[in-house]
Amino acid sequence: MQISTRTSNDIHIVAIAGSLDSTTSPEAQKSLSGVLPGAKKVVLDFSQLDYISSAGLRVLLGAAKHLRASGGTLGMFGLNQSVREVFEISGFSSILSVYQSEAEAVGAM
Amino acid sequence: MRHGFRISVGAHPGGVGEVNAAFADFAEAHALPAEVRRSVNVALDELLANVLAHAKTGRDPCSVTVEVELDEERVTVTLTDDGPPFDPFEQEAPDTTLSVEERPIGGLGLHLVGQLMDQVSYQRREGHNVVVLVKQLVNG
Repeated sequence: MQISTRTSNDIHIVAIAGSLDSTTSPEAQKSLSGVLPGAKKVVLDFSQLDYISSAGLRVLLGAAKHLRASGGTLGMFGLNQSVREVFEISGFSSILSVYQSEAEAVGAM
Repeated sequence: MRHGFRISVGAHPGGVGEVNAAFADFAEAHALPAEVRRSVNVALDELLANVLAHAKTGRDPCSVTVEVELDEERVTVTLTDDGPPFDPFEQEAPDTTLSVEERPIGGLGLHLVGQLMDQVSYQRREGHNVVVLVKQLVNG
């Protein structure tokens, strides 16, 4: 897994590539913990995300709860069919904001 | 034509990654559809992480053997571990309709496995947990 972050205006865009699973989620958690404290608007770029398991979902849920509590917003885009399926089964597609493209996600922040 | 491989790992954090990497290599060598490979990777991650969590609380060292078989129609994955008896498919399904604020962190993994695979089964056999997963290569 690789994580890269960039900032566009006041929006933090975090790209997660590879897999987000029990092996990689501690590192993802650590990276997001570095971004979240000062951030109000966070967009996750999943266009290079191969698959996500429940360990990865836990990281996303933690980030969503943190931002919700601090009045921030979280969006994500670029989900492949497998990631989308996991989101559907877990009910995450109805509790997290999923967008079709980066432009759409950034526009909604 | 049947193909397959077998890998045994100890219940340590790196073990899950070893199995997932071995399966990804096998999937690439046999040109498995990406969707099938990803679903199996997720199922392996959930089940192995679960065995690991249970092994931590047990007194005895625990090891897991993963056997993968591929034929024209399906991929079959058999996980055998010598941990305490645990049927992963007997657990209560989580409430997936709760909001962000209400939702407990966790409890989803084994539910995902049951939904992503076409068939799942559990048996306690000769002091081992035996979980079999089947994923069809073509839908329907």
